[in-house]
Amino acid sequence: MDGMALGFMYALIALGYTMVYGVLGFINFAHSEIFVIGAFVGAEILLLLEASGSLAAFHPAFVLLVLILAGMALSGIVAVGLERVAYRPLRSAPRLVPLISAIGASFFLQDLIRLLEGLWRNAFNLTYPSLDLLERSVKLGSAVELPFKSLLVIATALLMLLGLYLFVHRTRVGTAIRAVAQDPEAAALMGIPVNRTIALTFFVGGAMGGAAGVLFGLHYSLINPYTGFIPGIKSFTAAVLGGVGNIPGAMVGGIVLGVLEALAASYLSFLTGGAVGAEYTDFLAFAVLILILIFRPRGILGEEVREEGA
Amino acid sequence: MRTSIYGLGLILYLGLTSLLVLYFPQSVLAFLLFEASLLFIYSAPLPRGTRLALAAVALVVLMPLLGMINGYYLEIATQIGIFVALALGLNIVVGFAGLLNLGFVAFYAIGAYLWAIFGSTQANQFIAGNLFPLAPSWFFVFLVLGALAGALTGLLLGLPLLRLRGDYLAIVTLGFAEVIRALANNLDRPINFTNGPRGITPIQKPPLFFQPLLEWMGLRPEPAALYPLYFYFLVLLLVVLIIIVIRRLEGSPVGRAWKAIREDEVAAAAMGIPVVRMKLLAFALGASFASAMGVLFAAKQVFINPESFTFMESIGVLAMVILGGMGSTAGAILGATVVTILNLQLLKGLSLWLNGLRQSGIILTLPLLGSYDLSQLPAQFEPAKYERLVFGLILIVMVIFRPRGILSPGRGGGRSDGAA
Amino acid sequence: MALLEVRDASKRFGGLLALQRVSLNVEEGMIASLIGPNGAGKTTLFHILSGIYRADEGEVRFRGRSLNGLRPDQITAAGIGRTFQNIRLFAHMTVLENVLVGMHCRVNRSLLDILLRARRFRRDEKEAERRAEDLLRLVGLQGREEEWAGHLPYGDQRRLEIARALASRPQLLLLDEPTAGMNPQEARSLMGLLQRLMGEFVQALLLVEHNMRVVMGISDQVTVLDYGEKIAEGSPVEVRGNPRVIEAYLGRGKWGGDA
Repeated sequence: MDGMALGFMYALIALGYTMVYGVLGFINFAHSEIFVIGAFVGAEILLLLEASGSLAAFHPAFVLLVLILAGMALSGIVAVGLERVAYRPLRSAPRLVPLISAIGASFFLQDLIRLLEGLWRNAFNLTYPSLDLLERSVKLGSAVELPFKSLLVIATALLMLLGLYLFVHRTRVGTAIRAVAQDPEAAALMGIPVNRTIALTFFVGGAMGGAAGVLFGLHYSLINPYTGFIPGIKSFTAAVLGGVGNIPGAMVGGIVLGVLEALAASYLSFLTGGAVGAEYTDFLAFAVLILILIFRPRGILGEEVREEGA
Repeated sequence: MRTSIYGLGLILYLGLTSLLVLYFPQSVLAFLLFEASLLFIYSAPLPRGTRLALAAVALVVLMPLLGMINGYYLEIATQIGIFVALALGLNIVVGFAGLLNLGFVAFYAIGAYLWAIFGSTQANQFIAGNLFPLAPSWFFVFLVLGALAGALTGLLLGLPLLRLRGDYLAIVTLGFAEVIRALANNLDRPINFTNGPRGITPIQKPPLFFQPLLEWMGLRPEPAALYPLYFYFLVLLLVVLIIIVIRRLEGSPVGRAWKAIREDEVAAAAMGIPVVRMKLLAFALGASFASAMGVLFAAKQVFINPESFTFMESIGVLAMVILGGMGSTAGAILGATVVTILNLQLLKGLSLWLNGLRQSGIILTLPLLGSYDLSQLPAQFEPAKYERLVFGLILIVMVIFRPRGILSPGRGGGRSDGAA
Repeated sequence: MALLEVRDASKRFGGLLALQRVSLNVEEGMIASLIGPNGAGKTTLFHILSGIYRADEGEVRFRGRSLNGLRPDQITAAGIGRTFQNIRLFAHMTVLENVLVGMHCRVNRSLLDILLRARRFRRDEKEAERRAEDLLRLVGLQGREEEWAGHLPYGDQRRLEIARALASRPQLLLLDEPTAGMNPQEARSLMGLLQRLMGEFVQALLLVEHNMRVVMGISDQVTVLDYGEKIAEGSPVEVRGNPRVIEAYLGRGKWGGDA
């Protein structure tokens, strides 16, 4: 069950990677920080509410909603700002250059968050105050117990994914995004405001990451400015696994990776007689990444990677 | 006539700044000025021999002398040297062959752990017979072994990976570095190879083989005082060796091939360059430099653990290369120097200054903004810890505004007319 | 046995059939041209010949040896050189360096020699430089060794590309639109250069060209492609009067008459 929740979180974050990759063709390395920003937003709001004593006053569902929306909003905005400052000037550069900028942005944001939190709260390792609701679980029959935390993550993620799908395929704006992803020049010729569409893509992708951040914080409670790094890499692996640039692929990749990881955590030491233990689960994600890129770079659902021509 | 003025000027400058450092040992500025002399020497319109001589004087005579008086500066100079070597190695990979390696620190770690394991009692954990630690003179053997290990790893890693597209290659190298770190952290079970997060210590230092010579000259310095100088010269020697290797390769078909690959990979292949093989060469060579330095690092620090080899170190070296200009040897050296000084001295200086402010009890009164009691400055605001901010900023700014670096090679080359 | 034998080469890009069972022979001592309307597949064929693309079907033989699946650098080492349609010089390297790079597969690259600055290495480097200068003199770029390739005027860049391609001592030289963008005088000068190459520097030339004067002026054999298929082949005179060729270039029925 945990694996599923983890998988859906990865899927949400992976969406951010995959959308930006589809539209701009490069890896938004700083997406892991966008994700963490969402987590911090959630933490701050909860801590403020707790400090003011009004946490219990609101209905938990309402609180959750506010958290997620706030996380999405701020993450989305930061993502747009990021694009404007660090990526847009490099639009015409070879692919590696914006990647370097993205890495720089990632590092910069990590310390920026630390700085801001340090100045504001004199601490940057935050703990989410617990919400009663989340501690409960739902019992199905006598054997299966589904923790509410995980259900929340899965439910929210599914909703988001559905919403995204509808957005990208059923609205005009969504179609514009798909057009720019396929052929920016033709899209521009058709009158699509490319810059704005790209900014929107970043917003949506960032919002997904932000939502995942809030969920992450609710699920795992402990966050610091650097916690985005590992989930970021793993989600990127998930995106590649499912086929980068491909939205359903990100979801599939995320779930597969999450489940794999959960299985590994539980059974790895058992399978190898204690030699290889649960500490190696991070390892697993990297191994998957390397293997996929070598043997099937297009991922599970992806399209053929185009040949390098002259 | 003009050249001799320059020469004289430089000698004067060197002398002056050395005296400054001598009399103001706490001043970061004095040290910076002294180090800047190297930059001036490099860019002076003097014949190469003269410049080399001046640089040699600065590095081989003046620096050690200053270092003996103020050990802190010697340490900084040694650190700079290590990072210069790392930056030069990464420069070959990123700057010459155009491969973005985000996990360069992995090779550094491999070299370090190699000597750490065999140069300490660690190896006794898995090799019977209580043979370890090896005698200190094995250090030199391990320098070579380390370089070979790095080259081998680079080769093995590169073979499957170099076919990948640039950005994917970058992420995979990042993954590799994290894997190495995870291995270092976890290979203490079932067999204790690396002693996990506890690290390995104490590690053998190289032997003071020249001690008899010194004693014959009537000097009996303490080993503790001798070792910092010893390491400084070792680092200097290695850096010089690396520079020689790079320069020789640059002016050869190999160097030209690398440049061509960086310019236009497809055209390079069509001109008969075995692209993958050349990339592998660059990859393995850069790796070997890092690994050799790793061996030295382990011996110098006497203690290593997985935390010395994180992603941040890799990005730090990358920032150095990008700051100085990808593909430029002098640029890599400059970049390494600037970034190291930034981190070790400036940030720390800032921290100390802020601490001073905090304790001074001063209350700032700003018009419109009201008063602010400086002792209220949050303790968490510790500039020395904000290396990532600096690295990140450097990367973003350099890449947007000066993609060819400060001292980029081939300035003045335009694009071919028409298409492409 | 012809120097170059292409048999039934086909290449598909997704749904687009770029080349359809194209066969072509180039004999030693021959200047052959490949013509056809835009998009006919000429550059695609060149890419297959130089190893940048891999043919889906068919075979390419050079001096009796199959080139299928070889990497571009292996093909160059085997004796085929090329220039590119939209000039792919190494812009940030000097003129001399560009030609030296072209020699890569023919020079001594022993690492040991390089690192030790062995006498053998220094002698080989001097030799290479001398040869490069000879090639530059051949194409009329002597004295400009230290200029940046990217700074050269257009016509000189094309000449440099040829010098670079010649550096690897090819027996067959593929030239992709060598006179594109040139005025008639420059084109004539280039024609003269190409003819001078024959026999002394290369055994055969294969050109892709749009300039009909050049094609008709120096070719021994002309092959015409249209929509990926070979529609005619023969001497310049034969091809010129071929109604299918005229139709391919001018469209069906609208114009009539000959070119």
